[in-house]
Amino acid sequence: MTTSDDAVAVLGVQAPPATRWASRWRLALPVGLLAVPMLAFLTYFFFYPALGLLFSSIQTQDSRGIIGRPFTLAHYARLINVELYARVLWTTLRISIITSALATLLAYPVALVMVKSRPMVTRIITLIVIAPLIVSVVVRGYGWQLVLQNGPKGMLNWILMTLHIVDAPISVLYTEVAVVIGSLHVFFPMMVLPLASALGKIDPNLEDAARMLGAPWWKVFLRVTLPLSMPGFVAGFTLVFSLTAGSFVIPAILGGASAIMLGNLIEQQIFVVYDWPFGAAIAAVLVGLVLAVNGVSMWLLEGRRLRRPE
Amino acid sequence: MTDERFSGFGAFILYTITAGMMLFILAPLLLVMAVSVSDSYFVTFPPQGFTLKWYAKVLQDRDFLEAMRLSILLALGTTVGSLLFGVPAAFALVRGNFFGLAAIKGFLLSPLIFPALVTGLALLQVLTKLGSQDARLNLLIGHVVVTSPYVIRTVVTSLQLVDENLEDAARTLGANRLTTFWRVTLPQIASGVAAGGLFAFMVSFDNYPVTMWLANSEYSPVPLVLMRQLVNVFDPSVPAMSTIIILMAMVGVLLLEKLVGLRRALAA
Repeated sequence: MTTSDDAVAVLGVQAPPATRWASRWRLALPVGLLAVPMLAFLTYFFFYPALGLLFSSIQTQDSRGIIGRPFTLAHYARLINVELYARVLWTTLRISIITSALATLLAYPVALVMVKSRPMVTRIITLIVIAPLIVSVVVRGYGWQLVLQNGPKGMLNWILMTLHIVDAPISVLYTEVAVVIGSLHVFFPMMVLPLASALGKIDPNLEDAARMLGAPWWKVFLRVTLPLSMPGFVAGFTLVFSLTAGSFVIPAILGGASAIMLGNLIEQQIFVVYDWPFGAAIAAVLVGLVLAVNGVSMWLLEGRRLRRPE
Repeated sequence: MTDERFSGFGAFILYTITAGMMLFILAPLLLVMAVSVSDSYFVTFPPQGFTLKWYAKVLQDRDFLEAMRLSILLALGTTVGSLLFGVPAAFALVRGNFFGLAAIKGFLLSPLIFPALVTGLALLQVLTKLGSQDARLNLLIGHVVVTSPYVIRTVVTSLQLVDENLEDAARTLGANRLTTFWRVTLPQIASGVAAGGLFAFMVSFDNYPVTMWLANSEYSPVPLVLMRQLVNVFDPSVPAMSTIIILMAMVGVLLLEKLVGLRRALAA
């Protein structure tokens, strides 16, 4: 150990450039090969299956359950034209957008406090925000089921009735509202973390300057903090939207029959109806939606189109 | 020192919303824990009395114990698998200098943005065609697909912080490549590798959207068993099960915080 430490002290920082280049050159080929096992694994068990699923979405399933020709777009047409299915698509979009918007509104204050408070406060908030992320989604959905339970024995209703805010129990469970609440709980950290990281990178001098020039706090926020935190917002919004759109557990536990989302429809088509091509078509639409949102977000972030012209 | 940044009405709004959100985050979890020791035969609010009998019931529940065993073994296998694929791949991404590097990085990380539900469904179709009927093997494959990108992310981050001059020094002094890796590089990225592994374990343990397609009635991991119990059982044994899962997660969080710090582990 000591010998190598001494060596670092002697040779350390200035390895001659020639050596650096030589070692790089010799390493170049084998180092690249280290990615091959994972590339092969993902190609075979992720990329190829995904293409296969896309392919079945344009094929026909016969009465024996065998998928083959003729090629057709009928399954996609069905998703859009049959009102029952179209409604699921709109519900999914609505829940995902509302959840992401609410997460944004509520995450800004939390991220600001997280970034600008004393280390102890920051640490506690970080722990509270992140810890639930690692608790199973099923458990969190169940927790909300207990909180929102319809009837006088649910926690929310008990509190509301004890405080005489309402006279009769309200029914929140098994509605879209319950799904939005549950999704917000599950995906909130995905908004707070990128926002906090973007806010942390803002030079505090900029805000101080605005303040010193007489801007009130809300103007400092709107004109300095908000524009500079846009990359965090875009990243967070994309994450929350994609994850909410693709969720299954939360709508299954909290949405009941009135807030079915695309994920639940896919499960039903595959496990109950055994209609693989239609299930695959719904999955393809879900993937298309998620990739589109991610594409727009990447375009915004990488093109630096977020920097506001002054 | 920085508290003076917030003052007046703005500060009031910020702190109120933040406190409200902390309550919002904790409330359902605390309620689950409170109800799990409730001495009543149905889950009601407010909880009544105190008893540990629901834990006794859960710990004698064969289905739950079997699921626990399966989930832990699966998560361990997934951890090993995703480290075996992920650590070398991360090396290639950071140290390599070849054509298409960015595209390959995007491809290797793509399971992170792909809806996991669809990943699982697509895999089910292929595995069915292959005639692979061992649910344990299928689950392992599915879980490694979704967890290995996490390993890549944490290991890439810590590899970028490695001082390559130290490796050059070791090589100049005559150490071969393997010794250099083992004695110089690995100690520097150890916490990143450990965090990646821990992440893989936790993601695998909690995974639902891939698991739901690949499990069967014989081999059902914990999240599926819990989901079934939610629908069929109404006594406080369900909150007791949930509390056990919450406590296990807390141990994981504290370990992660010790290893690399939570923010770095997640926001990488």
